[in-house]
Amino acid sequence: MLTEMTSLFGLNVYTNSGTYVGKVSDLVLDINERKVRGLAISEINKDLFDINEKGVIIPYRWVITAADIVLIRDIFANFKKKTNTEEKEV
Amino acid sequence: MAKIFAKNLSNKQVMATDGSEVGILFNIVMDIKSSRLVSLVIKPDMALDISKYKQEGEYIILPFESVRAIKDYIVIDKAIAKGKKAPQNEQVDI
Repeated sequence: MLTEMTSLFGLNVYTNSGTYVGKVSDLVLDINERKVRGLAISEINKDLFDINEKGVIIPYRWVITAADIVLIRDIFANFKKKTNTEEKEV
Repeated sequence: MAKIFAKNLSNKQVMATDGSEVGILFNIVMDIKSSRLVSLVIKPDMALDISKYKQEGEYIILPFESVRAIKDYIVIDKAIAKGKKAPQNEQVDI
């Protein structure tokens, strides 16, 4: 699906389990590979990212699709599972 | 150098490899699924003969393959930008 890049700016980003991640503020382009490498996300969900920065850059391979919103893979669920199992092991 | 923020490119001047001005970058078309950069949407320079380029309203569309370099300017190869026929003919000549 072909899209003009500016139409992505400002879109809300959600995971496929419905969690709000943030807003698309910019795209990271790899000119040599002619590919989009990442999404710069602002207004991030502080529950997901335990950081004080204004935004994060996520790799584009997490993106499932983008139209009225951007849908990404729920990688955060994996992190939670991992930390839980680690705690159990401890 | 290879990684650039898209917003840094907005309104960047586009030049051809022969040194002539092409115009100002208006937008970039990408493929959401494959993440490939497909084409440049350019507001053409007043002096440019746009008849040989793919047009869309007041803008011209150049394939992203025609991009040679991006830094302070976007440099494009006019032969590739005008369509795929030009580079194929060159190959036959060689």
